[in-house]
Amino acid sequence: MRTDHAHQLTEKAAHGELAGKAELLGLLASVSQEFVASPVMGETLANATQKILDYMDTEAVSIFLLDASQQHLTCVACAGPVSIEGLTIGATQGIVGRAVASGSVQMVRDTASDTDFSGAVDEITGFRTRSILCAPLTLKSRSLGALEVINKRSGDGLFSDDDKQLLQALAGMVSLAISNAQMTEALVEQERIRRELDLAREIQRSLLPADGDANFPVCGLNYPASEVSGDFYDFFVLPDGHIVWGLGDVSGKGMNAAMLMAKTISLFRCLGKTMPDMAQLLTRLNDEIVETASHGMFVTMVAGVLDPSSGEVRFANAGHQPPLYRDVDGAYREIEAECPPLGILPEVCYVEQTLQLDAGRLFVFTDGVTEGRTADGEMLGLPGLLALLDENAGEPAAIQLSRVASLLNRPGTRLFDDLTMLAVG
Amino acid sequence: MEISIREVAPFRIVSLSGDVDLHSSPQARQAILDAIKQKLPLLVELEAVRYMDSSGVASLVEGYQAARKQGTEFGLAAVATPVMNVLKLARLDRVFPIHASVEARLTRDA
Repeated sequence: MRTDHAHQLTEKAAHGELAGKAELLGLLASVSQEFVASPVMGETLANATQKILDYMDTEAVSIFLLDASQQHLTCVACAGPVSIEGLTIGATQGIVGRAVASGSVQMVRDTASDTDFSGAVDEITGFRTRSILCAPLTLKSRSLGALEVINKRSGDGLFSDDDKQLLQALAGMVSLAISNAQMTEALVEQERIRRELDLAREIQRSLLPADGDANFPVCGLNYPASEVSGDFYDFFVLPDGHIVWGLGDVSGKGMNAAMLMAKTISLFRCLGKTMPDMAQLLTRLNDEIVETASHGMFVTMVAGVLDPSSGEVRFANAGHQPPLYRDVDGAYREIEAECPPLGILPEVCYVEQTLQLDAGRLFVFTDGVTEGRTADGEMLGLPGLLALLDENAGEPAAIQLSRVASLLNRPGTRLFDDLTMLAVG
Repeated sequence: MEISIREVAPFRIVSLSGDVDLHSSPQARQAILDAIKQKLPLLVELEAVRYMDSSGVASLVEGYQAARKQGTEFGLAAVATPVMNVLKLARLDRVFPIHASVEARLTRDA
């Protein structure tokens, strides 16, 4: 009889254990699915804490996460009679801090006899914490935070080794879910930044001039090396028929260079409509940029004006690499800068130079052209640029420039630097 | 890029070598600005620099502007040819005080 009874008990226990395991698997599956289905981490964690509370039969459950500095732990979700959501403690404070610091499950059967237990939260909430089980949340040895359950309701009110193992299993799943959610958030953020960069690029392109017709005597091109460019060119016609043009290169790369580029091209377009003297224009532009420039950023720039009826070009150069004049017979002349770049020194007096085109052509370009790489990996260099211009000397300027650009900006390759050119004549 | 820093009273000498480009110039900038923050007269030695892009030049410009603002000395010393070419092209050789060597600057006051 005794044996039969014992057998029955064992069977019952085994059956109970099986049912318990099935229930646990059910809990893990349901919480995991919720994590996958919901992009909102906060809501999902709140649901998870409620399910853990019910399943483990405890009075309260909370999830604490480490902040980016790893200095603080904040309760991001909880279930129980009082809410401590938003509560922040030091990363090593209390039982939660101990679980995070040690990387192991902490079981406190009687809080009164544990010196790490702080009753401060209980004092605020009125809740009475008697026993705690707290598991660290980790992923590949990276600490994320901790999952804590408080006051076992059933049995003797104490947590058992089974509870410890169960909480460890749940913590593993919660860690994975939190890590996935954090990665999703990072991806969403990346996507947002990418959209903003796309928008910045569109706006920046709209600052450059539209192509003129084939016979228009000034043309240019700009290919940024990344999303946004630190180079620019511009040209526009004055009421008297003169054409004001300019090309510049901001030091450095990226968004800060792009913003200074936007400022410089806008000021140039505005001042260029009322200041016919290019030296005065650059002096004024320099004063404006010096006033607000930061991080030592500066702009090298050539600004000029063409009288299409006489072929006379007046221009001033602020520290930009020498414009190249190709005369009608194919001889080149480099015209060096006389003054430093914009944005470095106040009260610089720029000087204007004059050039007669005489059916020749003036080329202004950034170092992205001469330092650009050809298909064989070699730097184009000034001799390479001259050879290319010679080869295409019979073509309209726009085609001549695009031939140079297409040699450097090849499909499937990435430019090392922004590539910008302008031709006058 | 390598940075070495030494004191040759009363100067702080920040010596740069290798490539000073978009990637490395923030470190050069920091070393230069640290010296200026301490109100030390500063010489940036550029003897072993192989390449300097515009972000490197901007670090020098920022140092020059900051030193000028607070009235401390800022100069370049032993400028390697590739850097000198860049500075000359942009007419910055007329902006920065340039010394043939650190010693040349020291003996000037002697």
